[in-house]
Formats: sequence, structure tokens, C-alpha cells
Amino acid sequence: MTAPGTAVTVRLTDVHVHYRVYEDPSAGFKQNFSQGRVRRRFSVIKAVRGVTLDLHESETLGLVGANGSGKTTLLSAMTGLQPLKSGTIRGRSRPALLGVSPVLRGALSGRRNILIGGLALGFTRAEIESRMDEIIDFAGLRDAIDRPMRTYSSGMRARLNFAIATARIPEILLIDEALAVGDEGFRTRSAKRIDEVRAAAGSVVLVSHNMAEIERSCNRAAWLDDGVLRLVGDPDEVVSAYLASYSSNGQSGSG
Amino acid sequence: MDDATNSLPGPERPVSAANRIGVSDARRLVDLTAAPSVGAYLRDVWRRREFAVVVPAQDLRAQNMDTALGQLWHLVNPALLVGVYFLVFGVLLDTRRGVDNFLGFLVVGVVLFHLFQRVVQDAAVCITRNLGLIRSIQFPRILLPLAAVNGQTLAFLPALGVALLTLLATGERPTLRWLLLAAVLVAMYLFNLGAALVVARVGASVRDLQRLLPHLLRLLFYASGVIFSVEAFVTSEAWRRAFAINPVYDLITCARWCLLGTGVERSVVIGLVVWCAVLPAAGLLVFRRGERRFGS
Repeated sequence: MTAPGTAVTVRLTDVHVHYRVYEDPSAGFKQNFSQGRVRRRFSVIKAVRGVTLDLHESETLGLVGANGSGKTTLLSAMTGLQPLKSGTIRGRSRPALLGVSPVLRGALSGRRNILIGGLALGFTRAEIESRMDEIIDFAGLRDAIDRPMRTYSSGMRARLNFAIATARIPEILLIDEALAVGDEGFRTRSAKRIDEVRAAAGSVVLVSHNMAEIERSCNRAAWLDDGVLRLVGDPDEVVSAYLASYSSNGQSGSG
Repeated sequence: MDDATNSLPGPERPVSAANRIGVSDARRLVDLTAAPSVGAYLRDVWRRREFAVVVPAQDLRAQNMDTALGQLWHLVNPALLVGVYFLVFGVLLDTRRGVDNFLGFLVVGVVLFHLFQRVVQDAAVCITRNLGLIRSIQFPRILLPLAAVNGQTLAFLPALGVALLTLLATGERPTLRWLLLAAVLVAMYLFNLGAALVVARVGASVRDLQRLLPHLLRLLFYASGVIFSVEAFVTSEAWRRAFAINPVYDLITCARWCLLGTGVERSVVIGLVVWCAVLPAAGLLVFRRGERRFGS
């Protein structure tokens, strides 16, 4: 494993992310109108509350935390998908979230989905055509590639998704629970691809609930608890502190 | 924030291991949360234009994949559409008054209105239907309403073929004026695009629009002279001029002028030009003001 450099690739400074959610009103019709006006039925979720963090070259940062602690929100904020309430995120290039599954169409063949997914990622048609065979081989779907995607097993779909998403490796890669897919052979191939990002002095952020995976593949870890960074440091230490919080509380610290 | 944002390398920037180390410290960090300038935004749209053509084309294919007639539906559907309208309005209700070739008159109105209607319906849901994509990939969101317009325009081409065949079958003969239809169709594309941008923005934040649209579109249908000749039915000069405010009426009337040689007033042409010049630009502004909040 390459030792992480000191140069910063992404810098988060006091990042706050709030978003509004519409609540399913449990109050009855009468209560809603009894106050003389229609009640506002959304509430503000303070998902990320003041995160300051640097990512470095050749670094894989593991992000751990309970469900709802703000991990996914933080990743989308880094890609620019989620507007910030306050704070800044600066970086060398725009981080990319791994995965194209939302654009893939079950009715279409794997081959056509590679085209669609690639276009969604910003490839040109010619670029995709020239990489088509490579992507198919990486996904290990040579025999099934002209079948509709809905006939694929979930593992096959995940492999296709990963193969498209990493057809060209971004400098800063964000992975939200994606590695534990496919069979053993595919996991080895995908781990190798993640290593390529680091080898090229890029950064990887890996969100996972698999602590063994965090300890195995990360050189630094951060524990996000209710939108606040509790601990950043050596993966083993962070993981044990995080796990210890479970045994002491009995339950997660956040919702 | 600063101009460096505009030249922000995309996520797909290829990684070259060779030159990274050493120069890396000097590489500037740019603000990732700043919105790109209009110029940078439109360049990005242009770079990704294939998305807005290929994806809707593939969706059209997928639509009829498991039907017996398959892709033939793209022809059968508009033919049936016109057939039903002819049965109801041409035969049963007889709104033919003042029209020589009513079937030809009807087919032009129906296919054009249908295109506009499908564009608006598609645009209204193009953001909410693609929330997953919006939440996971950074791309200019304008590609979604653009894809909706392109997809419906592609689906319209076979319908246009059906319409032209119907005209030939009902005794119309092509004249040089038919060529001007191309200009009307370009105007229609621009108008549809503008409408799609506005509707997409509104539909993204006001979900009620989807419930309201069928009623608004039905009202527009009757106000566009699709099934009756406004010239023959509306006697008041002032009211006739009021119709010219309706861009869909303007489009249909101009298309009929090209293909059927029916009358067109100057106010209709002016109305069309103004709508097609103003709406796309206004749509772009409206859409961009809202697009950063989509998905949040």
C-alpha cells in the first residue's frame, strides 16, 4: 500500500449541510387547520454540523458512523450535489460518487446500459464504444451482455454498475457501500481498481459498515456521529472507539 | 467565487501517475460548491449533448419492446389517435364547418398538439423521475428536460410521416410551401424546449402540477383550434386576435398554412416569432435559478 502523501486533494472547512424533509402529517385534518393557517409540514434536518477535514494524496479514508449520521450527505456535499448551509469545500477536481445505477434501464441490454451509463458520466459515445469490450470483460458479463438487464442477478447488476462507473478513474473517488458486491474474483478486480486511484496520487473516501473492510483497505478513518466528526485517525483506533460506543450505549449514539 | 471554477476538471479527468507527485503541492484547490458561469454551463451541456439524444432514443425503444407490434407502435399510435378524433369530431359531432379537407386539417392539428402535450407531461416529471440520478451524478440538469423534448420529438417523426401520408391520401399535393414546414418545426422545437424548461422547474418543486396538467392541457386543446377552424367558428375579430396569443394555436395555424394553404393572419405569425424567441431564453433563466435545489 502506498504511503499517503501530505498534499491536500480536498479540503472541507466547517461544512454544514441542512436539508428540508416533508413530514407525513400524523395530525388529523382538523388539527392542521385549527391554528388558523395551514401548518408548515416540513422540518429541517441538520445532517452535517461543522465538519473540517482534509483528504490527502494516495489516501483512502474510511468513513464510519451509524445510519443517519450524515455520511451519505457528506459525500453528496463533496460532489457538489448537495448545497451547503455554510462552510467551504475546495478541491483539485470534482470528486465523483461511484455508481451509475439510477440511470440504468432494466428493459435494455447490458451493452445498451453501458452506453447510457457512460453518457451519464460524461463520456462521449465514441469513448464508450472504444472501451466497450474492456468494460464488459471487467464486469465479467461476456455471455449476458446482450440480455435485458432485468434478467441479471443482483451481483451481476452491481458488477455492471461498478465496471461502468470506474471505466475512467477519477482523481477523487467516493464510494458509498459499494465494494461488498459480486463474487470473490470481482472483489479482487474492484479492489485493484481502487488501488489504481491511490497509486496515481488520488484520494478515496470509503463509506462502509464493514469494519474489517475499513481496517483492511483504509489508511485513515473518520467517525461521523450525528453530523459531527467524533474521531479522525488510525483506522484501528477509530473502529475500536466506534464499536466501543455501541457496547457502552447499547444503542447507536444517533438516529 | 473565482474563475478557476470554470475550468474545473471533471471527475473523469484521467489520472496520470507520472506527473502528479512533485507538482501536486502547487496545484490549486478550487471551490467545488460554486455554481458554474452560464458559459461554462452551456459548454458542459454541449459536451454531453449525446446523453440528451441517446438516452431518450433508447427509452423509446424500450417502451414497445415487449409488445406484439414492437416498434411499429410508433406509427400505429398516431394513426389511431387521428382516427379516433376523426370519428368523434369529423363524423359524430361534425365540427368540419368551413374546412375543405377536414381529415387533413385535423391530422396536422392533432399530431402537433400531441407533441406539445407529451413534451409538457414528460418535462413535468423529468426531475422527480430522475431524482436518483440527480442525487448521485453531477451533470447539467438541463439535459433532463432537453432529453424529454428530444425523446418526444423523435417519437413525433413517425407521426409526422403519418400526417403527410394522410394529406397525400386526401388529395393534397406537395407545393414549395411544404418546405416552410421545416421552419415551423424548428420554431416548435424551440418553443417546446422553453416550455419544457419552465414546466420542469415548476414540476420539480410543486408536485401538484402533475395533477393539474391534464386539465390545463385539455383547456389549451380547445383553445388551439385543433378540432375546429377558429376562422369559421369565431366571428368576433377581437376574439380571433386573442387566439393569436396562444402559441400552440399559432404553431398549428402556421403549419396548416404550409401544408393545406389555409389562411394565416399577421398577428399569428408575430405571436409565433415572439413566443419562440422569448420562451427558450426565459426558460433557461428560470430553470437555472432552481436547478441547484433539485434533489435536496
